[in-house]
Amino acid sequence: MTDRIKPIIEALIFISQEPLTADKIKGVLEGVPAEEIDGAIAALTEEYASDARGIQLIQSGGGYVFSTKPEHDAFIRRHLQIERKTKLSSAALETLSTVAYHQPTTQAEISAVRGVDSTYTLKTLLQKKLIKIIGRKKAPGNPLVYRTSEKFLQYFGLNSLDELPSEEEISKILQEDKDIEP
Amino acid sequence: MESAETNAAEGYQVKIEVFEGPLDLLLFLIRKKKIEIHDIPIASITKDYLGYLDRKEQINLDREAEFLFIAALLIYIKSQMLLPREKNLAENEDPRQVLVNRLLEYQKIKVVCSLLREKEDDQIQLWRRDFLPPLPGESELDFMEVSLFDLAESFFVMMKRKAAEDFRVIKGKDVTLEEKIREILAALEAEGSLDFLDFFGRQETLEEAFVSFFSLLELIKSRTVYAVQEKLFQTIRVWLRKDPHRKKTS
Repeated sequence: MTDRIKPIIEALIFISQEPLTADKIKGVLEGVPAEEIDGAIAALTEEYASDARGIQLIQSGGGYVFSTKPEHDAFIRRHLQIERKTKLSSAALETLSTVAYHQPTTQAEISAVRGVDSTYTLKTLLQKKLIKIIGRKKAPGNPLVYRTSEKFLQYFGLNSLDELPSEEEISKILQEDKDIEP
Repeated sequence: MESAETNAAEGYQVKIEVFEGPLDLLLFLIRKKKIEIHDIPIASITKDYLGYLDRKEQINLDREAEFLFIAALLIYIKSQMLLPREKNLAENEDPRQVLVNRLLEYQKIKVVCSLLREKEDDQIQLWRRDFLPPLPGESELDFMEVSLFDLAESFFVMMKRKAAEDFRVIKGKDVTLEEKIREILAALEAEGSLDFLDFFGRQETLEEAFVSFFSLLELIKSRTVYAVQEKLFQTIRVWLRKDPHRKKTS
């Protein structure tokens, strides 16, 4: 059975532009037991992980998607004639981190945490579709309320917001930093 | 960042521009002095902080207002701590508490920042099929809405550049939309994709430049090409759409 559904799943993921969720796969393969599908996905992932393959099956943004392997990055850039991919500016990354940890949140709250006016950076992040507006807050001035988007997860290869470090993990890292410093 | 740190005679100097904001600078000073965040010696930190601000030759209000705000806060806290009190302060009445809370919160964000940066570094080496411009699907409408706005913005930028050239043509040749569209398509066939800003710049007259912009809009509308602009005021890249299915249905 696994051998029969494995190529089907492979095809489904292949034609998907967005990461394909396990639920969607299960929807297409009606009647196939969930464990069977999970097993097939696991088998596919393992096959692609082999050094003989230039493509891997990864989990990102809560779904499955094919990507190239990091070791081939240089060749792909040469092929596409791209010197390097642009990274987020430190202001953008800082604003994004603030949204991620305080969401749902407003411009005023974000600016207060950062100590810097974040109106412009938020605009850039919206343009990049890394954050989205989910409505307005019932407060004076009815400020816009922001959340991180699906693309945010995909961009950082996360599957859900739960994968962001927790308060305890952050405190631990801070403690370690302090211990390292003489 | 490279040139931001210089070793001067008095040792380690860092320009204020490298800091994301006043809290970033404050955290840096605290770390440098190896001070416990919960027990900041306000007087000496204020002195250091103001020292950094003093290095600025001129004040850029847009950016420095935030630095000055924290400076004012530091001085206020310092004054609060100097004032004699009738009775000793309870622990939670420490005038530094507001600042400490903000620093602790900001410090957390900084940790998240560095973790996310690591993830970005990893992810940036993985290429997915959606790296190339996405096939327009249901989201086409708002995609168009946004990019039309961007296109118009870019158009004004290009117009300004063109206008600045200020040379006169006695009698410009007449160019029709059809001719320009054919020219763009021919260029696309030959080169695969087109840097529109570049193409625009090659136009001889303002009229021609005008017509080529409208041709681009026309080509996008008829779904013959994609136009992608990654950032505002950056160039617009144009691709020929290779999607026979879509052509049939439209």
